[in-house]
Amino acid sequence: MHVPEVEMHACVTLEDASALLTRYAPRARVLAGGTDLLVDLKTGRANTQHLVSISRIGSLRGVWATAEGLRIGALTSITRLHHSNLVRERCAPLRDATGQMAAPQIRNMATVGGNLACAVPCADLPPILTVLGAEVVAWSPRGERRLPLPQFFLGPRRTTMESDEILTAVIVPPMPAGFGAAYARFALREGNAIAVAAAAAGLRLDGEGRIADARLTLGAVAPVPQTVELAREVLVGHRPDEPLFEKAAAAAELAARPISDVRGSAEFRRRLVGVLTRRALDTALRRAREATS
Amino acid sequence: MTSLRTLRVNGHDYTLAVDAGATLLEVLRDKLGLTGTKKGCNVGDCGVCTVLVDGEPMNSCLLLAAESAGRSITTIEGLSRNGKLTPLQEAFIHEGAIQCGYCTPGMILAGTALLRENPAPQVEEIKEALAGNLCRCTGYAGIVRAVSRCENYRGDGTCGDRTAHDERDGQGNGRAPYRDPGGKPFAAVGVSMPRVDAADKATGRALYTADIALPNMLHGKILGSPIAHGRVRRIDVSRAAALPGVVDVITGADVPDTQYGVSPARYDEHVLAKDKVRHVGDEVAAVVAVDERTAERAIACIQVDYEELPVVLDAYQAVQEGAPLLHDRYPRNINTHVEQSFGEIEAGFAASHYVREEEFTGNTIYQSPLEPHAAIAYWEHDGTLVLYTSTQVPHYVQYMMAHVFHMPLGKIRVIRPAVGGGFGGKAETTPLDLCAAILSRRTGRPVKMVYSREEMFHHGRGRHRQHMRFKLGVDREGRIQAFKSEIHLDGGAYSSFGVATAYYAGSVIPTLYHIPNYRYDGYRVMTNKPACGAMRGHGVPQPRFAFECLLSMIADDLGIDPIEIRRRNAMAPHTRTVNDMDIGSCEFRATLEAVCEKSGWDGKYGKLPRGKGIGVGCGGFVSGAGYCIYRGQVQLSHEKGKEPFQKRSIFPHANAVAKVSEDGMAVVLMIGAAEIGQGSDTVLTQMCAEALGIPPARIRMRSEDSDISPLDLGAYSSRVTLMAGHAVARAGYAVVEKMRPFAAALLQCDEADVAARDARMWDQRSGRSVPWEEAARKYFNANGPLVGTGCYKPPDGLGGDFKGGTVGTSPAYSFGSAVCEVAVDLETGKVRIERFTDYHDCGTPINPMAVHGQVEGAIVMGASETIFEDVQFDEQGRILNPNLHGYLMMTIKDAPDIFSGLVESYEERGPFGAKEIGEGSTLPVLGAVAHAIANATGVWIKDLPITPEKILRALKSREPQRGPEAPAAALART
Repeated sequence: MHVPEVEMHACVTLEDASALLTRYAPRARVLAGGTDLLVDLKTGRANTQHLVSISRIGSLRGVWATAEGLRIGALTSITRLHHSNLVRERCAPLRDATGQMAAPQIRNMATVGGNLACAVPCADLPPILTVLGAEVVAWSPRGERRLPLPQFFLGPRRTTMESDEILTAVIVPPMPAGFGAAYARFALREGNAIAVAAAAAGLRLDGEGRIADARLTLGAVAPVPQTVELAREVLVGHRPDEPLFEKAAAAAELAARPISDVRGSAEFRRRLVGVLTRRALDTALRRAREATS
Repeated sequence: MTSLRTLRVNGHDYTLAVDAGATLLEVLRDKLGLTGTKKGCNVGDCGVCTVLVDGEPMNSCLLLAAESAGRSITTIEGLSRNGKLTPLQEAFIHEGAIQCGYCTPGMILAGTALLRENPAPQVEEIKEALAGNLCRCTGYAGIVRAVSRCENYRGDGTCGDRTAHDERDGQGNGRAPYRDPGGKPFAAVGVSMPRVDAADKATGRALYTADIALPNMLHGKILGSPIAHGRVRRIDVSRAAALPGVVDVITGADVPDTQYGVSPARYDEHVLAKDKVRHVGDEVAAVVAVDERTAERAIACIQVDYEELPVVLDAYQAVQEGAPLLHDRYPRNINTHVEQSFGEIEAGFAASHYVREEEFTGNTIYQSPLEPHAAIAYWEHDGTLVLYTSTQVPHYVQYMMAHVFHMPLGKIRVIRPAVGGGFGGKAETTPLDLCAAILSRRTGRPVKMVYSREEMFHHGRGRHRQHMRFKLGVDREGRIQAFKSEIHLDGGAYSSFGVATAYYAGSVIPTLYHIPNYRYDGYRVMTNKPACGAMRGHGVPQPRFAFECLLSMIADDLGIDPIEIRRRNAMAPHTRTVNDMDIGSCEFRATLEAVCEKSGWDGKYGKLPRGKGIGVGCGGFVSGAGYCIYRGQVQLSHEKGKEPFQKRSIFPHANAVAKVSEDGMAVVLMIGAAEIGQGSDTVLTQMCAEALGIPPARIRMRSEDSDISPLDLGAYSSRVTLMAGHAVARAGYAVVEKMRPFAAALLQCDEADVAARDARMWDQRSGRSVPWEEAARKYFNANGPLVGTGCYKPPDGLGGDFKGGTVGTSPAYSFGSAVCEVAVDLETGKVRIERFTDYHDCGTPINPMAVHGQVEGAIVMGASETIFEDVQFDEQGRILNPNLHGYLMMTIKDAPDIFSGLVESYEERGPFGAKEIGEGSTLPVLGAVAHAIANATGVWIKDLPITPEKILRALKSREPQRGPEAPAAALART
């Protein structure tokens, strides 16, 4: 239960960090908040000899309003994100996730970039960020790439980033008029618990109160955040009501590919998906209506 | 890779050589000696390692030291300035927020960060801020009180308002003092004084075993088996032994052949496997090295060749003919079969108006104290073994070490530093104790060994999973006519306490209700899992849960209010139960009346909307086991002849010495009673002070060292308050007796008229007095050391004349009732335990704040095990959740609001009228939660834990059916 022999490389530039990742691939990993990586190292899950620390690259920390939306630096802690006024004003649904995940100590250490780059299926930010249409910024000496989240996750703990790429930021586009989103998760206890199932929903209403656009992404019930395309088909063009949301929930249950583990069986998770989908849709709808009025 | 780093800790810069992989936690503890920062889980689940980094709470176990360079780090040692505590530290001390103290530094730091941002937080904000800090003792109630009332404390030990605890007694402000039967008020007893060790725990000064470092010390690790059942064919330690830094490696060939355990007739464990491994984690080899990291790497290099054997994990399967056999000595894997029958069971059922039969299943619960087990051993040149160990039972450890090493008990000195919780999980000698001693003898150096969280789960000794088939018959009014219980206890791979567990599972059931006809069949069964042992409520909580559920089901079936059916069956004082348990004081009925009224039961039961529920559960426990675990006198077991059993205690179970300082200003109280967080040092101080007639502040407790303190059997079976209490009171009275002639001379009065009180010696006739210390000095001038001794033996003849008649006997029994209120999300099955109302009969509460702390802790622990906790295994017997993110315990956000009240009661056999509280308080909880959930959902979940998944499944299976549940097993007879 100790961190094995490792070399630590404290970088102050992205160039250094990327060069080190290249030099020591595949035995190097980026160290940011460390809340996942240290557990992996201690429990022997990470086969890493080189830790490339990016904590000193100050430009990766912060939340900025830009023309394309909110730019969230990869090193921003979950706590900072939660308390950011910009997030509160422009991207409030994110707070459904940041307010519930893990424990305060973890939220103080864990970073936005880490929550995405670790690609843990039960991570809380990916579903809601997907629904919000976020993109990650992956930096390498070859330049910056923008990866919409559905193209970012490959599987549990695997992403489409190259070994020399570093996740530097997340861009969340502005929420359109009439749009509301929400994240609902189920955990077995109230404090410091991993999501057993989660659903993020986004709805855009047209002037008549019909659903003009809909997005639904599930967490913890598939190898990657599972976007439910069928839900969009079910919802778009209709007036929101309970039977409609029930249909969307059924679509979500169908789309989920859950596993059974200590936290619950696949069957249980599938049932939760339906409930959480309805709840996320209800909240999203309320917010969409608020955003229209 | 090591590099020089400068860390700013508590305002000072330290430049240190830091390994790249070293966590801040390791550097703080091992390099800077700041051991107030604790290690609990090592992966960010428990929060005991919390420090402030630039003012923000973080888990120092997940922060590399190298990464924290340049940031401002505050540990618990950095909060107080020049010995002056912060208001929050004071609040923790005075509001009962501290028990074992292991979570305390982290809690205080998290609370400090909150209060800096938000000086007057709401309760919900407090819970959010402390959600990453687990506490296993307090139920969080005292912690919430401390943070929310912090502004009342000024950091100088004073407080504007300290009435909170008295209010909770239901007596209003300024409750009249507790009194003896003659009406004389107590002075030190019945007072909610802060714990004597609270300040040490609030400041990080308290030393736990793992905090201690001896010069030239080595560090050991044990290799556990990766398979659940197999023969050890060959072990190759050469690679491990060759690793730089490794000093010694041992295997089964290097340890004594003597087997050890708890029950003398069933010693069945070897220090390291001699032939077979019987569960994953079973100890195979041990390594000692210059540091723990090297030892860890070394055990990974040991190659063991196993012949795998078939595995059996289920108790019912294990007893089948042809099932894999764990031990040749236990045919069909039956470790113990208990067969007890009292009255006429079949006639009782025949005479019943209504009989219901149900099956219940318990869960595998692990105590999960926040402090991992730890031991440090070294040998003096004269052959004395010195062992520091995190234990509840220093004497039994001494006895067992003597047994394994064939040496006199007198040559073994056991030191019990502060213990971070036990709950029964530290009630026996561990492989750490034994291996550390062996490795220390071989290397000639002190050896320290500490379990990781995962190793704790593999060591086990948690609550047995019990499979219970119950049949209960009642008359038309719901009065119990007959009760039949058949229980298979899933014991794991070794006996541990299991024989006693199997007896307890039967014997304590009839102490609560009148049961005229009773049959109990208990089978303690071996399976390829870590051994189960004695956890809080030893053997009784699951049968009590099942019994309470069944009684509530019957009440509903017959249309009798569930509290009313309990009233009708409630035990009366001074009763001999059907199984010969001798009940003395008993205010069980009063606890029922009190919870009924306080909870507003009559307005709620059957009147709540779906999804809301209320339930009742009751329970009680022994105030100390009537008999010692081993037979005969204190002596090396191999030297004792076969001892015939006698129905009396051979030697006193609790022994105390009170030594008065030469100036008479202080008393050192010596007793080997184990303070494990439950507060024994404090209540013993109070009882001794009461007898001595001086304030508790004049007493210093020395309970940690067997060289200093005389034998006490330890902290198990809820025995300390009653038994050790008598011993310390008697030691105190003995001192006063010796002072009496000197006081009489000073006062020029009759010796018989002298009384000690308020630190003075009084002539009760004239009302004149002299200082207590003056009389003490006069004694010393004339006679030398002023010392009083006291001891306690349980009464002779406890228990009936049948096999196992001793188990469950006790000088006194506690009683309690609890009402639980829940909200259940019927779509997800999630249970929110909202409120608990609990009343107990614990006799005189020696320290009401400590009593409520036990109740609050028991409620949260009990509720947690009812709905969350379960050690899960895969088909090969590997634990799936040996950590605190998979094995879920309640956080502060899950804990209910708790009202804890006490009913008036006085136990003649207890010191100052006192009985137990620590374990009895657990017993009503499980049944009350289950009942409340059934009340909210309409479905009874009969296997623990009651998870959302089980609730949903039960609700779903009921959907096509109609009406209230009508289990097939329900048999109505007229």
